[in-house]
Amino acid sequence: MKLRLAALALVGSCLMAQGLDPALLLKPPTEAWPTYNGDYSGRRFSSLSRINSSNVTAMTLAWEYRLDPGTGTLTSTIKSTPLEVNGVLYFTLPDHAWAVDARTGRQLWHYQWESHGGIHIGSRGFGMYGGWLYFETPDNYLISLNAKDGTERWHVEIADVKQEYFSTPAPIVIRNHIIVGVGGDSLDVPGYLESRDPETGQLQWRWNTTPRKGEAGAETWPNPEAMEHGGGMTWVPGTYDPELNLYYLGTGNPNPVMAGQGRKGDNLWTCSIVALNPDTGKLAWYFQASPHDTHDWDAAETPVLIDGEIDGRPRKLLAQSSRNGYFFVLDRTNGKNVVSKPYIDINWSKGLDAKGQPIGNPDKEPKPDGTLVIPALGGAANWPSPSFDPETGLFYVNASSSYSLFYLTDTNDKPEGYGGRDSGLYSTLALKAIDYRTGQIRWTHEYNRGGSSIGILTTAGKLLFTGDPSGNFIVYDPANGKILWHAHLISNVSNGPMTYELDGRQYVVVGAGDTVYGFTLLQ
Amino acid sequence: MKTLVALCLLIAASLAAQTPPAAAPRPANNMLISRAVPDAAAVERGQKIFVGNCGFCHGATAQGGDSGPDLVRSALALDDERGDKIGPVIEQGRPGKGMPAFHLPADQIQDIAAFLRSRQQAAIDRNAYSILNIITGDREKGREYFNGAGRCRTCHSPTGDLAGVANKYDAVLLQSRFLYPRPRPRDAQPVRSEVTVKLASGQSVSGTLEYLDDFDVSLRDASGDYHSFSRDARVKVEVHDPLAAHAELLKKYSDADMHNLLAYLETLK
Repeated sequence: MKLRLAALALVGSCLMAQGLDPALLLKPPTEAWPTYNGDYSGRRFSSLSRINSSNVTAMTLAWEYRLDPGTGTLTSTIKSTPLEVNGVLYFTLPDHAWAVDARTGRQLWHYQWESHGGIHIGSRGFGMYGGWLYFETPDNYLISLNAKDGTERWHVEIADVKQEYFSTPAPIVIRNHIIVGVGGDSLDVPGYLESRDPETGQLQWRWNTTPRKGEAGAETWPNPEAMEHGGGMTWVPGTYDPELNLYYLGTGNPNPVMAGQGRKGDNLWTCSIVALNPDTGKLAWYFQASPHDTHDWDAAETPVLIDGEIDGRPRKLLAQSSRNGYFFVLDRTNGKNVVSKPYIDINWSKGLDAKGQPIGNPDKEPKPDGTLVIPALGGAANWPSPSFDPETGLFYVNASSSYSLFYLTDTNDKPEGYGGRDSGLYSTLALKAIDYRTGQIRWTHEYNRGGSSIGILTTAGKLLFTGDPSGNFIVYDPANGKILWHAHLISNVSNGPMTYELDGRQYVVVGAGDTVYGFTLLQ
Repeated sequence: MKTLVALCLLIAASLAAQTPPAAAPRPANNMLISRAVPDAAAVERGQKIFVGNCGFCHGATAQGGDSGPDLVRSALALDDERGDKIGPVIEQGRPGKGMPAFHLPADQIQDIAAFLRSRQQAAIDRNAYSILNIITGDREKGREYFNGAGRCRTCHSPTGDLAGVANKYDAVLLQSRFLYPRPRPRDAQPVRSEVTVKLASGQSVSGTLEYLDDFDVSLRDASGDYHSFSRDARVKVEVHDPLAAHAELLKKYSDADMHNLLAYLETLK
């Protein structure tokens, strides 16, 4: 611990004016939003209350910024949650990065990466270390930029685009570790998480999401080839408990995605919530959300850290609204299960095993003639951020009750790629407030159309900010779901809303499609 | 060696029917295929050369066999560009692993590379996978479900709106369309909800629903005029969704119900 503090002090002493004081990473986000989720907890709760339930009706547009990569069309909506450090916002699209003034939305710089290919589905944003920014590209480069002017310091390749990897997560900075993940499940490549050196980009450690021959977990795979092609991508940023020094991550689905006959077994550590030592990459514990998944239900959704109380005892907990429709609460010191309860009506589970992990119904695995499954391939929730409000004790998620047909198309003993197809049929979307102690749903706001999950922010102003599937940005009372304010944006909210305070003014920033909006109170 | 050649030919013959056709060029907007699609003629030539020379160990589909690894998911084969990585391996063999050297001209190695790329892209491009036979249900039970538990007859008739429906859609589309006939832009007469908006004044306006969220509602009335209203507690909005029964039924179907119903609808030709 002493060593860690010393390392922090060292970084602190060489800060540039525009750089990030690493001490801010250990505090609730107020004047800064210095990491993907605002702080390490993943709660997306801000203690700011200048905008609150008594004055939010006076919230209005302060500025808007339209992302123009200069290439005509955007390959992705904005999925990046901006960082805000010392009055500057930093955000990304695939191959592109911007800095704008957090008070005015005025552009400071734009950086463009010359791509070598890869799937351009999204970019979740930056990590920051001192005066340096880090982001990942669809062709799997980790790029370090100078926050002052957006000039590139270096780039390193973290995965091979020719193997069908593509990278979307925002790096998470823990002391001198830049933690980066990878994505891509088209052709059965193995997943991993890496820590990179902040000064050079050199590899510090790599943790494989599937075991290699002879390693622990290998007993959950039929043979070495299956686990070396077993997928398990690391595409959503994780969370961190500084006291336990554990990094929490949800891992992606196994490969081949829908054809499980060549990988009989639980397929560790895919579709799992894992705790890793960020200094070594060593696994401390795991909990598997979907043993032997065949529905593309990554357990990559943010593992939200809750310092709560169960039966009168203070507990260090972790909660996830998982893509498979289950709400999980774990003891984050050891991974032991506290709650496993569906938060939508599902039809694929036969109950829970002794560890609280769902038992899949084999009848609902993809079939050549199709099986009807709830939720759909996109899941009950997905990467968009949920939120936990410590003042209400409620966990909030936009949950999709969705229906898909799942077809097995590759019936070989050794299938490859997806090995199956899905056909999405119908969905409804609802904002749900879940009691973390029981998994009971306290209130629900049903939207009158379907859609996929949308990111959420809660604040000490007794406000919940999120979007609906009709393009509205909405403020709710987090206690009861009453709508307090709304504005119609250019398209659906496509990132996680965030907030910060500068010069005594609180701003709420949200991205929708190709535009970033800054809201504040009328003056 | 003769036996080997004969075996290879045998494998080639027996697998020809299963081997996917040469990949056609993908449209530029195919997100999954980010590398050049090989020339179809080169793929066809490459397939023959591969099956004859390599298929015995690597399998005729290049997915590996008893003595040779899978080349569809091979890192080396994926890194390859027009034979630059696989060429040296073919030329020199892998003596330590039991692979002999094959002396093939450069153009044949390029053709093999084209074939392997097409196999890789066939696995990668999941949107092009063929769905297998899905008409597996019992048509009589499907008819009973249609007239009974499914209550399909409430709105539909096999001799009316559903006459010839099996000619209109292929089986896969028919299955997803009867489960939930989501309105599509190309539908000639898209299914639309009807709405009645009752205002605080007591005035009531009805028509086809154009837009509805928590805050606003809009419709087009019988004369084609567009109306929009802000919603508040005094404004009552009543929506009639003709697809509501489909959404309700999604919660109730067993897979057997679904397959039986499809088998029955397939008789409506």
